[in-house]
Amino acid sequence: MSLLIAWRNVIRDWRRALATILIIAVGQAALLVGGGFVLTAYDSLQEIAKRTQGQVMVVARDALAVGGVDQRLTLTAWQTISDALWSDPRVVRVLPRAEFEGLIRHGALTATFSGTGVDAQNEFKVYGPFLNIPQGELLTPWLSPNDMAEVMLGEQLAQTLQATIGDVLTLHTFRTDGSAVQLPVKLVGLFKTGTPELDDHTLTVTLDSVQNLLGHDRISVLSVYLDLDVNIDEFQQQLQQQLGEQARVITWLRGADVYLGVKALYDRIFSVAGLIIIVVVFLAISNTVALAVYQRRDEIATLGALGAAPLTVCRQFLLEALLLGVIAVGAGLMLGYGVASAINFAELWMPPPPGRSVGYPLYISVSWVHYLAIAAGLLLVTALAALVSVRQATRVNIARALS
Amino acid sequence: MPRLELHAIRKAYGAGDARVEALREVSFVIDDAEFVAIQGPSGSGKSSLLSICGLLDVADSGDYRFEGRSMSGLNDAERCLLRREQIGFIFQRHQLIPAMTVYENIAYPLQLQGESRRSIKPRVTTMLEQVGLAHRQAHLPHQLSGGERQRVGIARALIKAPRLVIADEPSASLDHTHAHACLQLMRELNQQHGASFLIASHDRFVMDHCDRVLQLADGRLAGDAA
Repeated sequence: MSLLIAWRNVIRDWRRALATILIIAVGQAALLVGGGFVLTAYDSLQEIAKRTQGQVMVVARDALAVGGVDQRLTLTAWQTISDALWSDPRVVRVLPRAEFEGLIRHGALTATFSGTGVDAQNEFKVYGPFLNIPQGELLTPWLSPNDMAEVMLGEQLAQTLQATIGDVLTLHTFRTDGSAVQLPVKLVGLFKTGTPELDDHTLTVTLDSVQNLLGHDRISVLSVYLDLDVNIDEFQQQLQQQLGEQARVITWLRGADVYLGVKALYDRIFSVAGLIIIVVVFLAISNTVALAVYQRRDEIATLGALGAAPLTVCRQFLLEALLLGVIAVGAGLMLGYGVASAINFAELWMPPPPGRSVGYPLYISVSWVHYLAIAAGLLLVTALAALVSVRQATRVNIARALS
Repeated sequence: MPRLELHAIRKAYGAGDARVEALREVSFVIDDAEFVAIQGPSGSGKSSLLSICGLLDVADSGDYRFEGRSMSGLNDAERCLLRREQIGFIFQRHQLIPAMTVYENIAYPLQLQGESRRSIKPRVTTMLEQVGLAHRQAHLPHQLSGGERQRVGIARALIKAPRLVIADEPSASLDHTHAHACLQLMRELNQQHGASFLIASHDRFVMDHCDRVLQLADGRLAGDAA
């Protein structure tokens, strides 16, 4: 019966109730949509990081530097590790990568580059939708000894060198003994990472080309791609135990600087926005309850005169605030879901973020865990705000209020 | 044992120059089932006296005994419990709870006493019939006339069979016909339940129907006539 009476009290002043419900619902919807956007961004960046570097990476024991993976060519005897990993049923793919640097020349034009030697047969299978080849084709997996080595250039680097598909360029670098070496390569394709700062100096060649150029078979990292249901941390620990001192095994998170940076930034932004919304909800509810208590002083006094304990009176006001909160949170869930669905249905695109040259589809993640957590949090805020304001009901002077 | 005994009750409000002596050395006794009116001009201390007798307020000095027990020194919770169990209130503006139906308003004092729904229902139904509002039990207060509201207020005050009923100008907001009907009802219920009534009123008609009339003037008891 208390709930029915609470409902009647809520609708008695329906305008104020509606205003409070709208404030909470809109605030909640903002949290849900904003949170959904952030979750999508986290998922995308995680996916990019995992696809580009693997869920687990094997590097040389001494290759770790503070803040990320030092890409020096220090991993030896990697073929044995790779063979063992390929035989593990949890492993989908094992990709060796050799990072190297130098100069690239096309006719009279020269530029610095940061290159990667890859297993051309498998490398490009892991990128999925993130592989963007605006011109040309991928590296040929199997070249005969008489064929010229191939190269793929970042789009901007190709522009800098005025190189087109089919042109022959020359890679210049130094071996560890200090001797200068060079390798003629044929441009077979251009790639676009979406980050101009990368596309203006990166290139990709086959691992064989790098090893021929540098005169050794060491690599920088062995990227391991796992089945989606494999526990990454568990796999990493097991592999580390197997390899012992032979190499260091790290997870994708260790090298995901972009993901970690963006996550830290979004976490801060979302925390501040969430805090503001929580404060607004708190003030809306406490104001509504305080007004109700003020306007219903004679009712409170009557209840007191009839023998209702202050706690009983407060409980009734709390129930009303919680009922208001439940209605508002329900409305907020529907509103948030509706807005998220409408945005996803509209297939909108976001403009390129700073440092990127391509936009991305705007997708709002709908996670019921996220939805329920926010709903529960707002109900808690509602209860706390009501508790703060409802204390005034215990201070009503019965005799004065009734006189 | 008298139901109420007041000895030298004093009550003042404010301080310094703004201090107002609402009650000065007021003493009287009310017996079981007595139907007593308090008369006096505005500001004579009627409301203060009712508040103290109804345990809504406390006297500054003097002794107030309810059924022989001193009310001095009771804390808020103890006064609240006594109001819940022993005292009924009839207010000038009926003071019904707007969100409760007629039935719920009358049943509320029994709910506060922890009575079960099963035991409440027949009592409320009987009371509704006594006050002639059985057909209005599902209505909300704003759907009732002034007379009906006051009858609900009377029913709410008496449903728990209190020892004392405090009524503050119960007929002030009613026309003569409704005022007469309400007073008749209060008198009937007084005789049936044996509750003592303390009624503040300016109404000559009310005073004519009371066993005694206490006259208050300037915070003092100026007369006590049967």
